[in-house]
Amino acid sequence: MKTTAFTKTYNKRVVLNLPELELPKGQITAVIGPNGSGKSTFAKILAGIERADDRRPVLSGVSVGYLPQKSFPFRMSTEKNILQNGNDPACASALMKALGIEALAGQSAKKLSGGETARMALCRILMRRYALLILDEPTAAMDMESTLAAEECIRRYCDETGCGVLLITHSISQAKRLADQIIVLHEGKLIEQGDTERVLASPREEQTRRFLEFFGV
Amino acid sequence: MGSSIRKAIELILSADPELLNILSTTAKVCLTSSILALVLGVPIGILLGAERFPGRKVLLVLNRTLIGMPPVVCGLLFYMLFSGVGPFRHLHWLFTVKLMILAQVVLITPIIVGVMETFVADTAPALRETTRGLGFGRLKEYRLLMNECLYSIFSAYLLSFARAIAEVGAVAMVGGAIAWKTNVMTTAIMMYTNRGSFTLGIALGLILLTLSLLVNIVLSVMQGRLSR
Ligand SMILES: Nc1ncnc2c1ncn2[C@@H]1O[C@H](COP(=O)(O)OP(=O)(O)OP(=O)(O)O)[C@@H](O)[C@H]1O
Ligand SMILES: [Mg+2]
Repeated sequence: MKTTAFTKTYNKRVVLNLPELELPKGQITAVIGPNGSGKSTFAKILAGIERADDRRPVLSGVSVGYLPQKSFPFRMSTEKNILQNGNDPACASALMKALGIEALAGQSAKKLSGGETARMALCRILMRRYALLILDEPTAAMDMESTLAAEECIRRYCDETGCGVLLITHSISQAKRLADQIIVLHEGKLIEQGDTERVLASPREEQTRRFLEFFGV
Repeated sequence: MGSSIRKAIELILSADPELLNILSTTAKVCLTSSILALVLGVPIGILLGAERFPGRKVLLVLNRTLIGMPPVVCGLLFYMLFSGVGPFRHLHWLFTVKLMILAQVVLITPIIVGVMETFVADTAPALRETTRGLGFGRLKEYRLLMNECLYSIFSAYLLSFARAIAEVGAVAMVGGAIAWKTNVMTTAIMMYTNRGSFTLGIALGLILLTLSLLVNIVLSVMQGRLSR
């Protein structure tokens, strides 16, 4: 899958200016970069929720699933929330079990804790097969155990469906565990793209190196 | 004072026919107007809150102005439209329950629109990001939005009903407070007090207060239920 080059301007400030990008099917692409570097904006534009400056779709003809950074629980039980995205109770309970929220199935989703809400939202988006699945910091609110369980679900989804996954994360270790490819954003620009191991071991750009230093890479 | 209250309670308990007539007229006017306002106001409020279109801001300002409109002004407007010199005089609606309902609909629909708009404008962006992210269509998006709105619809309705039952200006102007025909609780209180007879007024006042208490109890119970 190829995205077209585009820019995005908010209040006369260019927050994103990206070239064409290749997002391979069946692979997980991690997007890393500091706060405000444009990761979420990139995700929203790919998902068609925001439009690029020229108002043209950046990715056309493919079904995109997008999990926002902040998940919205519908006013119904956890299980019903998940079933909104495909009436397959067996699949829903398998996902809830994998993410450890099966005991919360009947509870009102509005009353879930932050991490529980994030787990519910991940189950909900994984119910359906998309050509490209964009996850905006899906594990940011989760504890370590849930994070690892979530990563396993994401990996399995990618392998079983053969769809592409774009994973926005602030965790380099998560990128290392999950991603086949890494994209580094900085101030709205793509500063590095390549295989995970290569980018983390020998970043070509000075800014990537400085960014990675914070993580002790 | 104490003896008037005792007499008022006796009047309520004796099921005085005039009192009953006033109560049934009030119920007819306020229930009809509030239900019509609900049917009109909920979709308008949801659209104003959820969609962005040219002229939306103007409509919001207009709606807020209508919320602040004194009931007598609303009554005056309908009086002029339907009185002997008005364009709708041939309908002969002046001093009928019909016109009282119409005036109240205009008076309270803006309240429902306002409550719904505020809630939806707050909720819709986050909900929409999620539903579009999941790939849901517009229909499903609106169904889920309505589902979020349940408590707001409910409280908007009770608010508008409370305003309808408590206002006196509009119903007095266009209804004329005619005994056995267009007299409602608030206009009857005024009428009887002017005549120097407090008993019926106090009885009606007690009923109004009790009703308001009930409405608020129901509201607070439902808030817990419906926000889940
Ligand atoms: N609707 C908006 N209006 C104006 N500016 C915006 C809007 N949305 C985002 N921005 C700006 O665009 C820039 C990129 O925001 P974005 O949310 O994409 O960052 P991010 O990389 O996801 O950051 P984080 O790591 O904090 O999630 C930020 O400087 C932000 O202030
Ligand atoms: Mg973000």
